Amino acid sequence: MIAVRHVGLRPRVAVAATGRHAAILIVIIGLLFPLFWVAVTSLRPANDLFSTSPIPWPMSVENYRDAIFRFPIGTMLLNTAIMAIAATLLQVTVAIGAAYALVRFRPRWGGAVVLLAGAAVVIPPQMLIIPQFLIASHLGWRDTYLGLIIPQLAACGLPILLLREYLVDIPTSLLEASIMDGARPAETLRLVVLPLLRPALAAVSILVFVNTWNEYLWPTLIAPQVNHTTIQAGLQLLGNQEGPTSGALLAAAMITTLPVLAVYAIASRRITHAFLQSGIK
Amino acid sequence: MAGVTLEPTPVSPTPPAPPAQGGCGVRARSGPWVYSAPAILSLATWVYVPMVATGVASLLDWDLITPARYVGVANYRRLLADHDFHRAIWQTGWYVLMMLPLATVVPLALAITLWLRPGRVSSLYRALLFLPVVLAPAANAVSWQFVLNPLQGITNTVLADLGLPGPGWLNDPSWAPVVIVAMTTGKIIGLNTLLFSASLSAIDQSTIEAARVDGATSWEIVRHVIAAQLIRPVALLGLLCVLLAGQWVFTNVALVTQGGPNGATDNVYYRLYTYAFTFFDTGTAAAAAVVITVGVAAGYVLVRLAIGRVRHADAPTAG
Repeated sequence: MIAVRHVGLRPRVAVAATGRHAAILIVIIGLLFPLFWVAVTSLRPANDLFSTSPIPWPMSVENYRDAIFRFPIGTMLLNTAIMAIAATLLQVTVAIGAAYALVRFRPRWGGAVVLLAGAAVVIPPQMLIIPQFLIASHLGWRDTYLGLIIPQLAACGLPILLLREYLVDIPTSLLEASIMDGARPAETLRLVVLPLLRPALAAVSILVFVNTWNEYLWPTLIAPQVNHTTIQAGLQLLGNQEGPTSGALLAAAMITTLPVLAVYAIASRRITHAFLQSGIK
Repeated sequence: MAGVTLEPTPVSPTPPAPPAQGGCGVRARSGPWVYSAPAILSLATWVYVPMVATGVASLLDWDLITPARYVGVANYRRLLADHDFHRAIWQTGWYVLMMLPLATVVPLALAITLWLRPGRVSSLYRALLFLPVVLAPAANAVSWQFVLNPLQGITNTVLADLGLPGPGWLNDPSWAPVVIVAMTTGKIIGLNTLLFSASLSAIDQSTIEAARVDGATSWEIVRHVIAAQLIRPVALLGLLCVLLAGQWVFTNVALVTQGGPNGATDNVYYRLYTYAFTFFDTGTAAAAAVVITVGVAAGYVLVRLAIGRVRHADAPTAG
């Protein structure tokens, strides 16, 4: 996506290039050093956490064993995965419907829906959090998956706007041809629109998934118990219980980070592309 | 598949993909409503009803337990006289000032540097720079707290080896907000480097070729061609990013300092959260929510209008 043509610079002194590398590396190291250091430290024996050697030797998986046996990490990861996947599917499904309705039927009230979806994206969540919490509590959704998942529909504004942008780009002749052929709206959606929309759906789903996976405030409020909450809220609960210098806590933080790193290593291009699409609009 | 009859139905009677409301039979006229109903209901239930409810609650004296009492604008009056809220507003301004260069100058410099030397190494740099954006804030918080531990953390150990005094970092009121900004920086720089890189690749190459033919050095090209085209969108995107970064700061404060020490890392979002979920003063929290939202909306509209103007003024910016 960010394929930049080589501008063909005239060869400059090597010093400048070295300087450039150094500057970028300093920024990268500064930003990622804490993570790197915790990764190294998590592999030390529990009684050697404050060694200053950048190599974890002697190496030990003691902290990881500790974290897995003492904390419900598996449960929290599972909760987070269920919440993020379900919320993503729900938001994207709802958004497909709305975006399709807006583009296929061009209703007179379409502008109002776009406006409401857009405003929903920029309203600070703190504005809504108290009534959301009251509604969800009233429905008996505290410490439940429903409570973690359903209220995240509040964030469906962004996928609506993004999918609408993609749908508008589909040539109207395609939609019209399908209507002329006597296809029902549902058929047009299934046979014409969705196949064309597949890359867009991937990008939007990635974006929503990452945002939901990293969601902190809502799980803290609606599911404040270690066994019912997500990894974001749960790590903090464990930190409060263990103190900030526990080897098990560091290992837990690494366990929560590894899946993200793995996914990013495989799909960094797709992920950055997804963010780019939403950022530009 | 039970009960298959001889009569084949060529078309499934219900739309398969979107959750259809109210059973079968999609008529042309009800079509748009059927397809957008789930979205409209979702937004209504979880955004707009809560928004109105917050507005109403801002006029009530309510602790969520005893019945609410109508008090008019008393909550607003109390809020605007509250010194903690004043301090939170000032500190929010301080956060914005700290974050602005990190959202503009730094990512722009990085994006230009990467753009001037495209290639495999630059792609790797770009991927690493963006990584903090997808990293979970909770793990990030654990890392920073560990590295900056005042007694045994690696930072202060190294400082001590160099003979320098190690500050208390998150326990020190003058350092704690700096640390919060540093923790948030990764996301800001990562996102904006990506956005600026995209803007750069949209610049008309022929202008640059022409400048090159005229014998311009890369620094001159950066200064005259690129800077001229990008300076305003960069400034505005930066401002916009800072508005959004408020949420990242909130999360980091909630995770790491809970507004402390002595309110040093407080900001308007966290103050609202404190009113609501520490003091259970729903009325004041709601009033704060309304005040903050009006402030953010004003800021957002201003930035957006300005970006719109820029987009019209010089086409090849972003989009």
